[in-house]
Amino acid sequence: MFDEDVVERVVRNLRRSVRIDPALDRRVMEEIAALPAEPAVPAGGVWRWLTARRLTLTPLGALGLAAAFVVAVVGVWRVRSASDTREPAVRGFQFVLVEPHAANVSLVGDFNDWDATRTPMHRTAGDGLWSAVVPLEPGRYRYAFLIDGRLWVADPTAPTTRDDDFGAPSSVLTVGGL
Amino acid sequence: MGTSDAALVSRVRTGDTAAYADLVARYRDRLGRYALHMLGNREDAEEALQDAFVRAYRSLARCDDPERFGAWLYGILVNRCRTTGARVARRARRFVSDPTALETTPLPGPAEQTEWDDIVRWALARLAPEAREAFLLKHVEELEYEDIAQLTGAGISALKMRVKRAREQLQAILREAEHV
Amino acid sequence: MMRARRYAILLSLCLVAPFARAAAQGDPRLERLDEATRPIVVGLIDSARAVGLPVNPLVERALEGAIKGAPGTTIASAVRRLAADLGRARDALGPGASPAELDAGAAALRAGAGPDVLTRLRRARGHRPVTMALAVLTDLVARGVPIDTAAKAVLTLAAKARDEDLVDFRRAVERDIAIGAPPAAAASVRVNAAAREMRPGRP
Repeated sequence: MFDEDVVERVVRNLRRSVRIDPALDRRVMEEIAALPAEPAVPAGGVWRWLTARRLTLTPLGALGLAAAFVVAVVGVWRVRSASDTREPAVRGFQFVLVEPHAANVSLVGDFNDWDATRTPMHRTAGDGLWSAVVPLEPGRYRYAFLIDGRLWVADPTAPTTRDDDFGAPSSVLTVGGL
Repeated sequence: MGTSDAALVSRVRTGDTAAYADLVARYRDRLGRYALHMLGNREDAEEALQDAFVRAYRSLARCDDPERFGAWLYGILVNRCRTTGARVARRARRFVSDPTALETTPLPGPAEQTEWDDIVRWALARLAPEAREAFLLKHVEELEYEDIAQLTGAGISALKMRVKRAREQLQAILREAEHV
Repeated sequence: MMRARRYAILLSLCLVAPFARAAAQGDPRLERLDEATRPIVVGLIDSARAVGLPVNPLVERALEGAIKGAPGTTIASAVRRLAADLGRARDALGPGASPAELDAGAAALRAGAGPDVLTRLRRARGHRPVTMALAVLTDLVARGVPIDTAAKAVLTLAAKARDEDLVDFRRAVERDIAIGAPPAAAASVRVNAAAREMRPGRP
């Protein structure tokens, strides 16, 4: 009866996912970058910035993330023996794909919550090469490329997953250190 | 493997500011839903949301339990929405002579927004802010009363009363709507 | 309907609380699942969390299914299966296994490795993590090396090889396969070569 479930209908309506413009992320990070420089936020009351041994980004450096990293082709696994075993080191990894006819290519995977808007790839002029750099902690990451928002392509240079549960291929990258 | 909230918080705390963008992306839509329903329009919602994210970044050291970063962030957003809501209401009282006009302003939204969407928003806007807040946190965001009490500073029985009243009011409002 | 009856029904609805969801914890990423699938997946994840299994891989698997447009039942099956594999990996690797090791272990099991392979790897590696060894094992199988050959190869190298050595081994096998060697033969040849390199006394 309408009366009995009208509030439930309202709740169902309100529970629907809302899409906020992803440009908000950039505005937040820009506002953060413009904050007056403070000492690194202490974790657990301990001032670690004096002894930080990992990649430290200045606020402006955060915006130039891709440029700041040393790029490494997928499949090159450099394992560092962790001198600081408590916090895993973060390194940049470059992903590349040749797709001369694509209008846009997204890198999508475990490292960006399978969100196709998070890591759009950039096209090098003229030769159909698309690339993106992603900072990764040690771990195992499934990923794939999404071409023009509809075609899933695995990374031809990387091992594919055996467990293709969803009928579209994925690749795996294992970053050493753990 | 993906990265947990606690791991991202830890990275931000040790200087990897860019990791905060991942947290923002992760929570943007979910928190945006609450802000949108609480404030009634996208512009105010995005302002409150942006404000909440920046405040959270600045006070990240005070997030005692990074595993529950989301709940902590919620508290900041609830406060921001109260401030923004109050400011909007003051603005409205100054410029709008017809009090129902503000409530019936349609939301900019997807083209396929239905009449029912409009009715729901209108009904929600007619609730008192306290009741709307409690209703949204309980039934839409599905938080436990203990968590809502912490976020809002209200007692649990007071919250239950507000939710119950909100549901009764929505029933009454929507019954009116169907008879119009 | 009488007004009193309406309110009575409303009151009874309040008491029964039809909207109460069992502690639907707020991982916001799961909002991307549709309404029918979300509670099932949340339940699976809550159960996994309750027994101490890492939940991030489960969330990521659900998100992968969502963006690939898989039906809800398929997503739930995939999450359920991964949770089971993570549990079996923990049984094989021991309760001290890290989330990364469990994730790699689950993948290896899915690739066809038996739990005994994981247990033997753990024993062979001692206190060193088994993540990379398991990853190399899984990747070899993905390239076509039969599971038994791959397992044997990795176990042979496990005791002495550093993670970099395992990676080099995998790359060498891949190169051989790429130029036409049968995968099983490539693995066998390379493992013998690698084992010789690591024998004590060799430069």
